[in-house]
Amino acid sequence: MFRSRFTVIALLAWRGLKQHAFSSFVAVFTISMAGGLFLGTWKIKEETQKAFTNSSGGFNGVLGARGSKLQLILNAIFHMEASPGNLPWEQYELIRDNRGVKEAYPIAVGDNYHGYRLVGTLPDLFQQHEWKAGRKYEVKGGGRIFSENAKEALVGNFAARKLGFSIGSKFHPYHGLDFDETKRHEETYVVVGILEPTGTPSDKVIWVPIKGIQHMEDHDPAAADSVSAVLLVLRTAAGFQLDMKYNKQGNQATLAWPVAATLASFFDRLSWFEDILALVAFFVALVGSLIIFATLRTVMNEKKREYAILRCLGASRLVVTCVVLAQSLFLSFSGLAGSFLAYGGIGFTAARLIREQTGVVMDPLSLVSPGPKNPNDTFWTTVEPFLPLLTLVLGIFLIGFVSGLLPALQAYRSSLSENLSPKS
Amino acid sequence: MSFLEVQHLRKSFPSPEGGESLVVDLERFSLESESLCGMKGESGSGKTTFLHLLAGILKPDNGSIILNGRDISQLSEGARDRLRAESVGYVFQSFNLLQGFTCLENVLLATSFAGQANKTWAKELLDRVGLSRRTNYYPRQLSVGQQQRVAVARALANRPQLVLADEPTGNLDPKNSHKALSLLKELCRENGSSLLLVSHDEKVIESFENQFTWEELNQAPSSAAEE
Repeated sequence: MFRSRFTVIALLAWRGLKQHAFSSFVAVFTISMAGGLFLGTWKIKEETQKAFTNSSGGFNGVLGARGSKLQLILNAIFHMEASPGNLPWEQYELIRDNRGVKEAYPIAVGDNYHGYRLVGTLPDLFQQHEWKAGRKYEVKGGGRIFSENAKEALVGNFAARKLGFSIGSKFHPYHGLDFDETKRHEETYVVVGILEPTGTPSDKVIWVPIKGIQHMEDHDPAAADSVSAVLLVLRTAAGFQLDMKYNKQGNQATLAWPVAATLASFFDRLSWFEDILALVAFFVALVGSLIIFATLRTVMNEKKREYAILRCLGASRLVVTCVVLAQSLFLSFSGLAGSFLAYGGIGFTAARLIREQTGVVMDPLSLVSPGPKNPNDTFWTTVEPFLPLLTLVLGIFLIGFVSGLLPALQAYRSSLSENLSPKS
Repeated sequence: MSFLEVQHLRKSFPSPEGGESLVVDLERFSLESESLCGMKGESGSGKTTFLHLLAGILKPDNGSIILNGRDISQLSEGARDRLRAESVGYVFQSFNLLQGFTCLENVLLATSFAGQANKTWAKELLDRVGLSRRTNYYPRQLSVGQQQRVAVARALANRPQLVLADEPTGNLDPKNSHKALSLLKELCRENGSSLLLVSHDEKVIESFENQFTWEELNQAPSSAAEE
């Protein structure tokens, strides 16, 4: 260990920091938080957007009451927000029979069980629809899809787990989209199947026959022949025609198509929030940098005599300077390692919250997300997915280097003779 | 030519009142190889500055310091650092052990800058000063006398040609003082090092065959407060 100059410098740096363990810990912790926030704001937004876009359950359009496209998508596909209104059943039949429509499934909402939505639809959705290319819904062993005219439920995997449902469980729905124990319906539903997990919002839904919702006790009889929305798989050319028909020329319904574009514009509108978080991360990083600087200044001031003794033993100015710089780099790179831990913590928490709120599954540990290889890739498109990681590593290196520079220069310039304090 | 030859050595420092204050003004000084020499001088009279000049810690304003044929005063700072690492051992009054390092590490560090780190030799030295059972102790876990013995071992660790000792017994009681002094002399003899020890304590200086007073050598108009 004492044979190589490099290990001696590393040892001197490590022992110096060990003697100031608390300040060193605070510096590393602050840098970790800043790095974690930075990665979190950048990657979680990206991953969330990707997860949401990939979680549209295999639908590329939604037809609903006149109103906001985003609200329509959030309500019909992500089972969030309130329904913007109802459509007459004939509207469903009309679009279902359009030649440009590959698939159309009506849904009706308006009830919940302990906060988990009951969504009424047709059994066809689970028999025919592919929620992901080549993947149809699967019912766990022993279960089945509900019958169109029975009071039966097919429960999403996440909801079943959270509610403790198994095949044969019975429950009373509650009126409204939010749970209110005073609004219990008298009807009793029985769980006949539990879906295999899909990682899409349908995992947190209790699926029932559409007639069940339409004819639920206390529901407005006028709504018995209406639907909340129609989930669609459109052919591309038909999408343009139907967009023209419903959104530009008509005034009775809204067609949200394509779903991915509407979601992308929604995330673009959230960029101000990302900017604020980035600003917070920047200031936390600044504080971390100042703490490293203050820690090293304190270490430097307390160690002036020690460094002078080392010089007296034959250590050059460069060795002492390198010790201070090594301390600063050690603190910052420990902060970098801490950043990944902090990011993991933030990512897992965010993923859990998003899963609970939306049913969307995101990968919290995905630090780089390169797309599939493409022969037309440029240098920039290859490097871009690694940008957050590169920025973090370079940023933290810079923080360490800059905050260590002044104390290192101070070490370089300090007078050997003065710090040995001649007494006689 | 002697092992150490000093001629026309002058060193002054800026004075708080302005101008320069001459601290060392020495016409000639020499030390033979493997000789052990005691120099008496009052506190604050410039002895430490003289030792710093000999160790290459300070650069003189004038004069030459020729150690084993090399003029230290003409060397660059880096070359003087290397010279200290390879050829000079230094014992301080206040020991100046590195508190974050064990006894063994303190001794090893003294050899590492010359690239001669040798754990066996460092352990032998600690054994020689009676601390073989305390190699992994930190300085704060040792008595004052034991700390000074570690300092002596550290000064000898790089097998120096010249050992400079600045009031090495100043903080020790008479018993420990005698012990440390004997040890220092013995180890210098065994190692073939020359020793120049400065002290204000007459008893310490009287234990040397070669002895002189700093005031005889230094012609600076000096005095204690001037440093």
